[in-house]
Amino acid sequence: MAGMLHYFRKEKAWQKKFDAMAPRVGDHAPDFELTDVSGDKRVRLSEFQGHKPVALIFGSFT
Amino acid sequence: MGLRDLYQQYHQQIQFLSIYIREAHPKDGWWLGGGLTGKLVKKGIPKTATDIYDPQTFEERQRVAQQCEESLQYGIHTYVDHMDDRVSNAYAAKPTRLYLVGIDGKIVYAGGLGPYGFNPGELQAAIDTYLSGVD
Repeated sequence: MAGMLHYFRKEKAWQKKFDAMAPRVGDHAPDFELTDVSGDKRVRLSEFQGHKPVALIFGSFT
Repeated sequence: MGLRDLYQQYHQQIQFLSIYIREAHPKDGWWLGGGLTGKLVKKGIPKTATDIYDPQTFEERQRVAQQCEESLQYGIHTYVDHMDDRVSNAYAAKPTRLYLVGIDGKIVYAGGLGPYGFNPGELQAAIDTYLSGVD
């Protein structure tokens, strides 16, 4: 239980810190470049600017 | 509406990017897979994994991301965040989060922090509103 509380507090602290700096509606979306799960394909967010809107879906397996 | 349905309905007008970030509840971290909690998680979100360790290398991260992509089957291509979590940090994305970026590169919709703020229905509404205003 103490372990769970430790991780909960740690996560909340992370969220408080980074959410304050996260982009809001109207802000320019921070650019990034990532590779896919196979390493074969790369993507850069800014390559879609002027061409297509982008939905970003962040998550993990757990 | 779930993410798979959203993708099916809008993928011709919207580019969907799934971004795999640091595990939220790995076995060597804030693990929710044990006991009653684990059973409830599995019952509520059957495709969620409860036996994953936090990847220590980018190659491990790619492997888990691939398992995740194959299990969830949203149909959305998955990209993998760097080991320093720079993209997750920039978007305050952990554990889950949704955004819509307009054609001008500006944020149109910023979803709330997951899991409670993770709302595909809100994203759909934002997409509909955005597309209705685009020529």
